[in-house]
Amino acid sequence: MFEFLFKYPLAAFRKGEFALATGWPLWLLALLVVLGCGLVAWLARRERSRLAAKAGLAVLVLQCLSIALVLTLLWQPALVVQSLKSHQNVVAVLVDASRSMAFGEGGLSRLQRSAQLLSEQVLPGLEERFRVRLYGFGASPERLESLAPEDWPAPRPSSAVGESVLSVLRESTAVPLGAVVVVSDGSDTTQRFDRDLLAEIRQYNVPVHTVGVGRDRIEGDVELAAVRVASESLPHSRVSARLTIRHDGQRDLATRVTVRDGSEVLASRAVTLRAGEPVRREWVDFGAGDAGVRNLAFSVEPVEGEEIRENNTRRRVLDVPRGRRRILYAEGEPRWQYKFMRRAVHRDASVQLVTLLRTSVNKYYRQGVDTPEELQDGFPAGEEDLFAYDALIVGSFEAAFFTPQQQAAMRDFVSRRGGTLMMLAGPNGLGAGGWHLSEVVDALPCELVAGEESFLRERVKVELTTQGREALVCRLDTDPGRSAELWAELPELADFQRLGELKPAAVSLLGVRHGRDLLPLLVRQNYGRGRAVIFATGGSWRWRMGLPSDDVRHDTLWRQLLRSLVAASEGPVRLTSDRPEYADDSRMLLRAEVRGKDYRHANNAQVTAVVTPELGEQLSVDLTPSASAPGVYEAEVEIAAAGAYRIEAAAYSGDERLGADTLHVRRESGVAEFFRPERNRDLLARLADRTGGRFWELDEAAQLPREIRFSEAGITAREVLDLWDMPALFLLLLFLRGGEWALRKRWGVI
Amino acid sequence: MLQAVAGRRVLAALAVLVLLAPLVSALQFWGGRDRGGDPRAWDFDRDPRAEFQFVRYAYGSGGDSGGWGRRRGGWRTDWPDAEYHLTAGIERLTVIDTAYGGKFVDPMDDELFDWPWLYAVEVGRWHLEDREVDRLREYLLRGGFLMVDDFHGSEQWARFMYSMQRVFPDRPVVEIPAGDALLHTLYDLDQRTQIPGIQYVWSGTTFERDGFTPHWRGIYDDEGRLMVAINFNMDLGDAWEHADTPEYPESMTALAYRFAVNYLIYAMTH
Repeated sequence: MFEFLFKYPLAAFRKGEFALATGWPLWLLALLVVLGCGLVAWLARRERSRLAAKAGLAVLVLQCLSIALVLTLLWQPALVVQSLKSHQNVVAVLVDASRSMAFGEGGLSRLQRSAQLLSEQVLPGLEERFRVRLYGFGASPERLESLAPEDWPAPRPSSAVGESVLSVLRESTAVPLGAVVVVSDGSDTTQRFDRDLLAEIRQYNVPVHTVGVGRDRIEGDVELAAVRVASESLPHSRVSARLTIRHDGQRDLATRVTVRDGSEVLASRAVTLRAGEPVRREWVDFGAGDAGVRNLAFSVEPVEGEEIRENNTRRRVLDVPRGRRRILYAEGEPRWQYKFMRRAVHRDASVQLVTLLRTSVNKYYRQGVDTPEELQDGFPAGEEDLFAYDALIVGSFEAAFFTPQQQAAMRDFVSRRGGTLMMLAGPNGLGAGGWHLSEVVDALPCELVAGEESFLRERVKVELTTQGREALVCRLDTDPGRSAELWAELPELADFQRLGELKPAAVSLLGVRHGRDLLPLLVRQNYGRGRAVIFATGGSWRWRMGLPSDDVRHDTLWRQLLRSLVAASEGPVRLTSDRPEYADDSRMLLRAEVRGKDYRHANNAQVTAVVTPELGEQLSVDLTPSASAPGVYEAEVEIAAAGAYRIEAAAYSGDERLGADTLHVRRESGVAEFFRPERNRDLLARLADRTGGRFWELDEAAQLPREIRFSEAGITAREVLDLWDMPALFLLLLFLRGGEWALRKRWGVI
Repeated sequence: MLQAVAGRRVLAALAVLVLLAPLVSALQFWGGRDRGGDPRAWDFDRDPRAEFQFVRYAYGSGGDSGGWGRRRGGWRTDWPDAEYHLTAGIERLTVIDTAYGGKFVDPMDDELFDWPWLYAVEVGRWHLEDREVDRLREYLLRGGFLMVDDFHGSEQWARFMYSMQRVFPDRPVVEIPAGDALLHTLYDLDQRTQIPGIQYVWSGTTFERDGFTPHWRGIYDDEGRLMVAINFNMDLGDAWEHADTPEYPESMTALAYRFAVNYLIYAMTH
C-alpha cells in the first residue's frame, strides 16, 4: 500500500534527501504562491455577501493549499538517494544455525522455514542485483554454499548474533558490502549484545536488516530464567537464593522448586505460577552445610505437556570455605549478654569471637585470642591490627575510652576495609556513651539519642518489622510464617536503648514496643565498602534464660546475626568473574580488585591466577591493570571444557604477598539455546534500527530485495526519484478540491 | 521501806541486764543486722536498675529450709550484711553495674530465671524436693550459675550431695583445677586458703566439724563450663558479713571478696 501511494519504498524516504528537480528559484515559487493566494482572496471578497466569515476563510485556505500544491508540482519535487549499483555490490545473508532454530513450529523447524523463505522469495530477488554471500552462524559465522539441506551446518550449541554480524563486517572490508541480512530467532546466548557492540557494528555504516523467525510466546513452557545466589557462604549458614521463573502467563500452573547438591535435596517447595504474571520471583532458603564446594542444581519441576524441559534447571557453585571469620568484640563491662553471646557461637565452625572485656577500671579479660600476645595491649591502636578482623562489635563502652585515631580507624574499618561494625546498647553504649560525638557517627545507621537516660532497664517486647520478616538474619524457622510466630512467643528483653531517626539508607529489622511506639532495635545500613549495625539492647539474654533449655532461638539468632556480620567481609584481594555460570560460552573475564594491608588500592601489584578445571590441565594467567578503575586487574581466560573451575588469584607487591582469593565457576555445555526459546524481537529490532536497516516479519520479508538497494554502503550511485507523479499527491489535490466542493454544497453556494 | 524495795528491784533489774548483755551481744554477733521477720520486708530494692543483683536461693519452699523453719531458714544465714558489704565491694573493685544489697528468690518462682547468678548458703542442711530439683537443673542448663557456701564436714557434704546428685545424677563433682579460668578472671587465686567463719574469732580454728581441708569443687556442663561452684569447708558468707568486725581477719574478708568477684565475672563470661 505504501509503495502504491508513495511510489517508492519507505527506505527511500528515510534515506533520501528532498529536492526540486527543475532548479527554478524557490523565491519565484513563493512569490507565485503568494500572488495566487492574493488573487483567490480578492475573489473571495467579492463573494463575502454569499458566504459567512468562517466559511469564507475555510474555502480560502483550501484554495490556497491547492494553488501551493499545483505550483510545487510544477517545480518537480524529487528524492535524491544513494542506491546500490546493480551487480557490483555484495549482500551478506546470515542464517542462524543455532540449536534453538531446530524448535518446531507448524510442522517445520525455524531453520526449515527460514531456508524455505530465503530460497523461494528473498534470494532470487537479491541475486538479480547483488552478489550474495551466505553464512550460517552460531557462536561465529561460517560460509555456506547454498541453503540446500545437505549444506546446512550442524546445530550450534550457542548463538552470538551481534558478534557474528561484526565478524562478517570485519571480514568484508575488502568487498563492496551493501547490506547485511540476518535471519534469526534473536537468541543471543553470549550476554554480550550491548551498547558497545552495537556502536562497533554501527561504525561500519552498513545497514543490517533482520528477519525474525519463531513464536513470541511458547505455550506451556516454564523456564528458570535466572538464579541469584551467593557464590560463597559460611559453613552451616542459611543461604537464600532468588529464582526468577518465566512462563507464558496464560493459566495458573502448579509446580515445585528444588535445590539439590548431587542427589541430596537441600530444599524443595511447591509454587503456583499465576495467570497474568509471566515473571515470578521465588526465594528458596537452604543450609550451606559443611565446608567444601557444593555443585548446586536449582530446578523447576516440568509442568504437564511442557515442550522444552532443558530450561528448567540451572547450576551454580557454592564455595563453603574452611576457617573461621574473626570478630573483635570490645565490651566495657561484664554483663549477661556478653556471656550468652559467647555461648551461642562457642562451637561455631564459621565465627570466632575474640573478646576484650573491661573487668575493672584498668583490667581487661581476653577470650578467644589466638596467641598470648593478641590484644595484650588492649584495643588495637592502629589500622593494621584492627583491619585484621572481619567484624567489630562495641558494647557498653564509652566513646571517650577510645582515642580519636582509634575512632577514625573504626570508621575506616567500615568504609575502607569493608568490615561490619555492630554497636550494642548499654549504660555506656551508643548515645549514653557519647558516641553521637565520635568519629564513627557518620557510619551508624541512625541518629543517637544523647544522655544516660537513653538506656532504659525496662522489659520490652520485640516485634519483627516488614523488612525483618524477609531478612534471613531474623529467620528462626525455614517457614517465614512459623518464624514470625516464634518471634511473637519470645520473652521480653531485659533492657533497650532509645535511638533517633533512621538514616535514609538504613533498614530496621526489629523494633520494640514501648507504649504506643515501635522503636527501632536492630538497624543496619551499608557505609562505604562495609556495613554498620546497631542492636539497641543488652538484654537479649532473657531469650535464653526465659525459654526451656532445649530451645535454640536465642542461639540461632545470635549465630545468624554474628555470621551476617562477617559473611560479606572481603580480604585484600577480591576475585570475580563476569558471570556466575558460563553456558556454552568459553570466554571468562576475570577481575581482581587488589588492596594493600591498609586496604587502599594497590596499583603496582603482580596478580596471577591459577585456573584449575574439573578435568584437564591447570592454567596460569597473569592479570593486567585495568584502565577503568584503580587497583583492578583483568584477564580473559578460555574455559573450553564443561565442568567446574577453581580459580585462585594471588597478588604480590614485590616480594610481599598482599593476599589471595578463590573463585569457583561452572561451564555448561549444550544448554544455552534452550533458555529464552521464544523469538527475541527486541534484539533484532534494535540491531536493525541502530544500523539503518529494518526489522522484517517473516511473512513480509519477500519485499526485502526491493528495499535493500537504498543503502549508502558499498558501491552506490546518486539516483533522483521523481515525486511529482506520486499518486498520493494527486489524491491530496483531489481531496482539497473535493473538500471545497463538498463545503460549498453544504452551505448552498455552488 | 518502799525505797529499799525499789532499790532492790533496780539492782535486780540491773543484774538481769548485766547477765543478759553477753547473750544479746552474741545474738547480735551471729545474727548481724538481722531484724527478724520475713526477709521480703528488707528486700528494699525490689526493682533494681542494675545488671547484677545478688540473689539468694531461698530453698526449702516445701518446709525444709535448713533447720530453722521457712522464715528464718538456713538459706538466709549472714543476711543482709553479707549482701551489703559484698555488693559495695563489687561496685568498688569492678566495673560491673551492681545493685546495692540483695534479693532472694523462691526455687519455684518463675522469677528465678531472671537472675543468672544465685547464692546458696548452709547447703549442708538443705533438702530439695523433686520439683525443686527439676527446677534447679533446668535453671543451670539454661545458663544459670550457682555458688554454694558455708557447709562443713562429711555429714553436711553427704546431705548436700543427696540433693545435688538428684539435680545432676550423671555429672561428677570435681575439684576445680588451679588453671581453671574461675580462679583467674580478675584475680589470680593460686593459694587455696581456708576462709573461716566467725567462730574463728573465739575458737581460733579455721575449720568446723571434721571439715579440716577446704575444697573448691564444681560441676561442669558438656562444654566444660562451670555451672555450680562449691565452697566446701569454708564460709565466705561470714567473711563478707563481718567485713566491718574488727576481730575478724581482714585478709580473709579480702580473699573472700576476691573469690566472689572471680566467681561473678566467670559467671558473666563463660
